[in-house]
Amino acid sequence: MAEDLVLDTAIRDWVLIPLSVVMVLIGVLRHFVSKLMRTSSQLPDPKIVKEGQVIIRARNLRAAANFIPLKSFRARKVYYSNEENGLLFVPKGQAQNAQAQMFSDPNMAMDMMKKNLSMIIPQTLTFAWVNFFFSGFVAAKIPFPLTQRFRSMLQNGIDLSTVDVSYVSSRSWYFLNLFGLRGLFSLILGEENATDDTQRMMQMGGFGFDPSKSLSAEKDGLDILQHEWALPKFEQRAETVLRKLVS
Amino acid sequence: MAGSDGSNGSKEKSNDFANELPSYNAENMQSNMKVIYYSRTFMSIIGGVIAGILGFTGLMGFVFYFLVMAITSAGIAAKAGFSVHLYFDSWNLIILDGFLGGLMSFVLFWTFAYDIVHIF
Repeated sequence: MAEDLVLDTAIRDWVLIPLSVVMVLIGVLRHFVSKLMRTSSQLPDPKIVKEGQVIIRARNLRAAANFIPLKSFRARKVYYSNEENGLLFVPKGQAQNAQAQMFSDPNMAMDMMKKNLSMIIPQTLTFAWVNFFFSGFVAAKIPFPLTQRFRSMLQNGIDLSTVDVSYVSSRSWYFLNLFGLRGLFSLILGEENATDDTQRMMQMGGFGFDPSKSLSAEKDGLDILQHEWALPKFEQRAETVLRKLVS
Repeated sequence: MAGSDGSNGSKEKSNDFANELPSYNAENMQSNMKVIYYSRTFMSIIGGVIAGILGFTGLMGFVFYFLVMAITSAGIAAKAGFSVHLYFDSWNLIILDGFLGGLMSFVLFWTFAYDIVHIF
């Protein structure tokens, strides 16, 4: 490298380390704040809980179908999916769509907004803080070479084309922290931390809001299931084992 | 190894027809996956710090990452007593799962330690 920059040690002591520590601490704070907000919500609707339990039971049946005789399996299948009063059968028209349900239940929208806000507010605040105090200088250097394409990503806030690309501006160091600390958070905060909330919300979108759809999907799954008994010879096997034990 | 505690009691052992009849407990499977994920994340962070302190640059660091991940895989396999099918679906899960997920943490901590030790 022709032009090695000399970075002041004060940058390390007053930018690099504080920035990283603050990012970690803000992540922890956000985790506990969102936890506090979540516990204040009211009990879930019993109907939704009931439907979820039915789905879980049907799924268990589907997973373990091959361990019970054909007759028992048929009886259970009818119990779940017959067209008149099966547990998984949803009458047409009764299925309310997700939008209507969301409007009828303002708490749900409120909850989502709270979650979103607890995501967005700390991020904007930290970003503003970083921008205000630490904008416009090189804070770090990544230990591997990169192509020119990464310049806009890693040297956000510095408009010099002669600086080597592997030098990282403080604003970009913030972004690196934002993405890279996810693993650390999952280690120190356990599995249910606030950073994972976005992913969970995406998963919940189909499930929590429109249970009738997942009910009918489960019903279809049961209907097309081929039953094949996995233990056709288990009586003989048991007999031989027992005989061996006795003799 | 981080967090690979005794939560590995996974599959009911059924001796002679374990091959034709896979039976898993979904919760235990998930717990095992989680253990893999945690140990990988932990190892990638520790590996990043080590790589930074030793001052690896360029390709050397990534080679080190692969080495660390290979060690992690070997460690998990050893923890499972090399009878992997007792605890997991397939070898792929142990060797490949979460391979790229730890890369970002590795790069971050590598950079951090390298900067603190070598740049300033």
